[in-house]
Amino acid sequence: MKIPLAYNLRNLAVRKTTTLMTALGIALSVAILAASLGLVNGLKTVFTGTAHPLQLLVLRKGANSELGSTVPTDAFAILRAKSGAARDSAGEPLASQELVNVANLPSVDNPKGMNITVRGLSATGIEMRSVRLVAGRWFQTGQREVMVGQAVAKRYPSARIGNRIRFGKGDWEIVGVMDGGQSVLTSEIWGNFDQISADYNRQDSSSSVLLRATDPVALDALKHSIEDDRRLNAFAITEKDYYDSQTSSGAPLEFLGIFVAVIMAIGSGFATTNTMYAAVTRRGKEIGTLRILGFSEGSILLSFLAESVLLSALAGILGCLLAMPLNLVTTGIGSMTSFSEIAFRFRIGLTALLSGFAFAIVLGALGGILPARAAARKEILSALRES
Amino acid sequence: MDIVIETKKLSKEYVRDENRVTALKNVDFRVPRGDFLALMGPSGSGKSTLLHLIAAMDRPSSGEVLVLGQELRSLRSRELARWRNAHIGFIFQSFNLIPVLTALENVMLPLKLTALSVKQQSEHATTALQLVELGDRLHHFPRQLSGGQEQRVAIARAIVTDPDFILADEPTGNLDAASANEVLTLLAALNEEHGKTVVMVTHDLHAAHFASTIRHLEKGALLPQGQVPQDWVAAAMTVPVHSRFVGGSEMTAR
Amino acid sequence: MNRYLQLVLKNSLRNRRRSMLTIASMAVSICLIGVLLALSRALFYGGDTTPGQAKRLIVHHKIALTQDLPVAYEQTIKKIPGVQAVTRLRWFGGTYRDARDPKNRFAQFAIEPQVLFDVHPEFQIPETEKQAFNSQKTACVASRPLAEKLGLKLGERITLVGGMSPTTLALTLVGVFDAPTDNSSVLYFNWDYLRDSLPAGDSSRDMVQQFYVEAENKDAVGGIAQQIDDVFADSPCPTKSEPEQAFMLSFVSFLGNLKLFLAAICGAVTFTMLLISTNTLSMSVRERTREVGILKTLGFSSGEILSMVTGEATLIAFAGGLLGCGLATGLCAGIASAMRSAPGFVSVVRGLGFSPLVAALTLSIALVVGLVSSVVPALQAARTSIVDTLQYNG
Repeated sequence: MKIPLAYNLRNLAVRKTTTLMTALGIALSVAILAASLGLVNGLKTVFTGTAHPLQLLVLRKGANSELGSTVPTDAFAILRAKSGAARDSAGEPLASQELVNVANLPSVDNPKGMNITVRGLSATGIEMRSVRLVAGRWFQTGQREVMVGQAVAKRYPSARIGNRIRFGKGDWEIVGVMDGGQSVLTSEIWGNFDQISADYNRQDSSSSVLLRATDPVALDALKHSIEDDRRLNAFAITEKDYYDSQTSSGAPLEFLGIFVAVIMAIGSGFATTNTMYAAVTRRGKEIGTLRILGFSEGSILLSFLAESVLLSALAGILGCLLAMPLNLVTTGIGSMTSFSEIAFRFRIGLTALLSGFAFAIVLGALGGILPARAAARKEILSALRES
Repeated sequence: MDIVIETKKLSKEYVRDENRVTALKNVDFRVPRGDFLALMGPSGSGKSTLLHLIAAMDRPSSGEVLVLGQELRSLRSRELARWRNAHIGFIFQSFNLIPVLTALENVMLPLKLTALSVKQQSEHATTALQLVELGDRLHHFPRQLSGGQEQRVAIARAIVTDPDFILADEPTGNLDAASANEVLTLLAALNEEHGKTVVMVTHDLHAAHFASTIRHLEKGALLPQGQVPQDWVAAAMTVPVHSRFVGGSEMTAR
Repeated sequence: MNRYLQLVLKNSLRNRRRSMLTIASMAVSICLIGVLLALSRALFYGGDTTPGQAKRLIVHHKIALTQDLPVAYEQTIKKIPGVQAVTRLRWFGGTYRDARDPKNRFAQFAIEPQVLFDVHPEFQIPETEKQAFNSQKTACVASRPLAEKLGLKLGERITLVGGMSPTTLALTLVGVFDAPTDNSSVLYFNWDYLRDSLPAGDSSRDMVQQFYVEAENKDAVGGIAQQIDDVFADSPCPTKSEPEQAFMLSFVSFLGNLKLFLAAICGAVTFTMLLISTNTLSMSVRERTREVGILKTLGFSSGEILSMVTGEATLIAFAGGLLGCGLATGLCAGIASAMRSAPGFVSVVRGLGFSPLVAALTLSIALVVGLVSSVVPALQAARTSIVDTLQYNG
């Protein structure tokens, strides 16, 4: 590039208002794109954060979610006894039978009520997950007591320690708050397995069984063993695959976000073209002078294209900066698999930022190519005569 | 004699609003090396057109332009640009400096197309500006300079590539008398002390007398050496005639 | 006024390319806002409803959709004045062939065959097939999209292996129905058959998840819903009844805090449009500063100049707005038809239409943007003194 970039930068600075307004339009498109990517990324993070790499979820054959599955209690005994199952400190297999259902509570976002996953599990089940107690205490067996995830406590005003919530056959008291980190567990309500299954008339079956294997090889063997076992009418899916499949919940919003970003970009693209055409018109004399000095048509084209790309690159950075505060925002989305809300934080990471930046640059190039060509093609003599 | 510029039956026609206009008609002339030529004529006489053709800013309708022995017609657009950069320094009536670049950066511009390093470019440009006595205004922007200073920067820009000749199109047209004289003196000095060939287009007789040769154009035709246009002769009858100067500064009456 | 209009028009056409680009830019933004507004309307207020849908309401357990209601409720509901027809509905999550193939996954509902088509008057099915469905206990009917997707033929055996319920159903396809506004893949079969297939001790034998009720006329729907809920309010399984549309809309909350999201985007787009429009107009005015000066010497007052600039902005905004509305109409129709096969949650989008109300709102946004964007440039133009403008050298 023969013509110095300072020429372009300073020209952008001279027409401050125009530059700023065009840049802001592009910046907003980039921000929306980054936000959409950050939404999906945040959702993915929560789902991958939930899964333990060595754990298997056992469901009834044909079911595609815990909610739509039943596993009889006698099957649990068979599953526990399978070889390849990891053991806890007492030598007992790490296997947990769990009952999953849905409760409905009014939330900040949805005063009419939103679904929350209710999970009945045993102490083993708790041990198999990485959650920690942050307030109150764990529920006791035989009591109508429940724990709420931290996200539930934050987003649902009625879910505070000491309050009572209603699901199943009646009221339950909230005795503690737990934190599962960036995982779906932080959006769940937990209670004792026996207590909860009784409430839903499910004394002889659970929704699912969670098993841990000793190592990846055993995991695979265990999976096949379960599926081939004729006594069980079940199939096993790794926790990872189970939760990965739920990331599609974010698909509608991601689609909407990208759709909007692209359309806004088209609008901003037209604006960029307009701005650059105006610049080319205004600087006719300069273009003619540069040509006289010996700069070729190609270098003029590149220079104006560079100016457009510089503008959009700056806008891209601005857009990324605008979007980044979203990383502090927690929101919820409904998973169609679990029929309930999952809280997650926006996670606008490097990929989203780079995508936004690249998006901006492409936009600048596309918007600026026609004016740049017009600049390059100007006839020297008529260009010089322009005021 | 070393001929720097030569034209052979050079003609230029163009169409404006369905009228065919003849700007130049069969112009034959030669400019020897080291000459300071002033081309004079009223507006529409074709003097600027001639300059543009010599500078390869425009293409002739017929005829040839040979500069330094090179037939310009045969050069393609990109080669012309290179060629211009290497051999010509151009000075405009309205200075044509890039507003967002400093004086130094403006003068460095032509050097961007050479193989010099940035440091060397800067050094050359500084030297050129010092030559035009603007060594203390290197980092000023054009809006911070007076008209005469701007034109001097333009001259520095024109000579920084050490071109074979300088073309000036009404260089004093936008300047007051004092600045005009500075600029003209500078051009004359470049011609006499540094041997630069200069071709200057002007309608100002006072400016023309800084040159060593004056030729007149009338309605697209180049008048023979020594011949003046018709209306000058008429005017000469009624008003005191201009007298010849050598580097003087008195105003002429018309 | 006429000469102003001429001048304004002439000015707009002067730099045709710039005006075109501005109009295009505005049209795109307006189209987006229009689509978002129509989407908001569909998602939060319900789109255009079909006549059949308008008279239908859904009764489910108050606490959660996943909790069951006793089938006995049906008798009580039938007796409520204004109710024309009731069918029980139980979701059956059975496996058809290999469940890993996504096309083998479809909704299966156990209902009451005699009443199904009364509750869904918009389903069209040949009379003979309907009769077969009513008379054969193991019969089932499929929606047209499902039949085509799986290549089903009448008389074919369909076996469903129970997920939630420990039973296997052997059904025979006796009919295929068409639902003009609904492209979902669904299978209906006889609830009695399901009940009989379940083991005697199964507690969910006499349970259903929902009741679909068709009212006599749509104005009665709200009252009926309230009445049903009142009757069962104190029972062990309290109900929540709502019009079908409201039921669909309740799924919208599933998409997260959509209202905020959409509002934020509309705001951002409007703001950007405003920026771009102001920017272009300023450029245009700046280029014509000389002319403004000349106009003033000719006797045009500042006020007249102001109104000419504003007029130009409004004209361009209006043109952009009209074009944008046209684009939005097409886009809405496209989205609506694309969404016809979407699963229940986003099915409200099927009713996406660019209604006159939304069009009016969108167009007024365009005009407001045009007016507001002209304020600063117009004031600048009006305020420039004659001397300034004539000396202006670009």
